[in-house]
Amino acid sequence: MTRLRLVLWVMVALAAVGALSLVLQSRSPTVRETALGTIGGPFTLTGSDGKPFNSATLNGRPAAIFFGFTHCPDVCPTTLARLVKLRRQLGKGDDALSIVFISVDPERDGPAEVGSYAELFDAPVVGLTGSPADIEKVKKQFGVYSAKAPLPGGNYSVDHTATVFLLDSNGAFVATLSPQEGDTVALDKLRRIAA
Amino acid sequence: MIRQLLLPALLVLAACGQQGSPDIELHNAWARPTVGQAPAAVYVTIDNKSGSDDRLTGAFSDHAAMAMVHQNEFIDGVSKMRMAGEINIPAGETIEMTPGGTHVMLEGLRAPLKPGDRFDLVLRFKESGDKTVKVTVMKPEGQ
Ligand SMILES: [Cu+2]
Repeated sequence: MTRLRLVLWVMVALAAVGALSLVLQSRSPTVRETALGTIGGPFTLTGSDGKPFNSATLNGRPAAIFFGFTHCPDVCPTTLARLVKLRRQLGKGDDALSIVFISVDPERDGPAEVGSYAELFDAPVVGLTGSPADIEKVKKQFGVYSAKAPLPGGNYSVDHTATVFLLDSNGAFVATLSPQEGDTVALDKLRRIAA
Repeated sequence: MIRQLLLPALLVLAACGQQGSPDIELHNAWARPTVGQAPAAVYVTIDNKSGSDDRLTGAFSDHAAMAMVHQNEFIDGVSKMRMAGEINIPAGETIEMTPGGTHVMLEGLRAPLKPGDRFDLVLRFKESGDKTVKVTVMKPEGQ
């Protein structure tokens, strides 16, 4: 009986993994190539205080990770403001979810830049950057794409994956949020991980 | 001498006035706060109250070195921001710029934007000429 139950649970787990990977494939093709279970993992970057930031610091509560850059005036502040709003709607306080911003533009974004950018949202947001090699490594871990796109006047923008990665309180990847899905769907996902 | 200069100037002004036959109104211009050297995105609602089409061809502000109309696209989950080119404003229609879609990007701001700040933004239209709107800097959550 116990054995049968175990087998059934394994089947449920397999089905869940299958379903989730199907969802991921249809929702965000950029993470398709990274198999579920290999997305994420431990990383060390640089915090806004200039000191090393180990991802284990995030353990103990769920986290929403967004990759962006501080010279991004539209999609990045919109996404971070949305996450702050969703966390407020969860109604469990700022400790219920860490919101993490990782720069994909380490050349322009030092610790001070990500720090002051993270402070723009009137709520706790963790701003992280790192050496270009550190950033490449964490991008690969999450299957994140980014590339510079020149702007008139000599500056540049950065094309980048705008998907938000949700981690559980053990730092394991559980789901993504898409900028195009409704707040109700997003809030449901957050409720599940912040239960 | 002044008279000679004044007359052509008046003629030019009159010509501009005539050009403005379509009736464009700008509303609800807002931006989020910024820090450091980062650019700002301004969202404006454009109301073409006339019976003929018009086109948004450019943007200017004394508050920034450069203003550009940008379009954001999500392709396979990747956000890409590009120059928008001219934007058609069909007769009788209202075009609302919203986050993640179209915005006027201000590069080289005179000073970072703080909630409550107000400044002028000029949008240039092919038929209606230049229209000015006051931009309000909102709290970070925006609208
Ligand atoms: Cu832009």
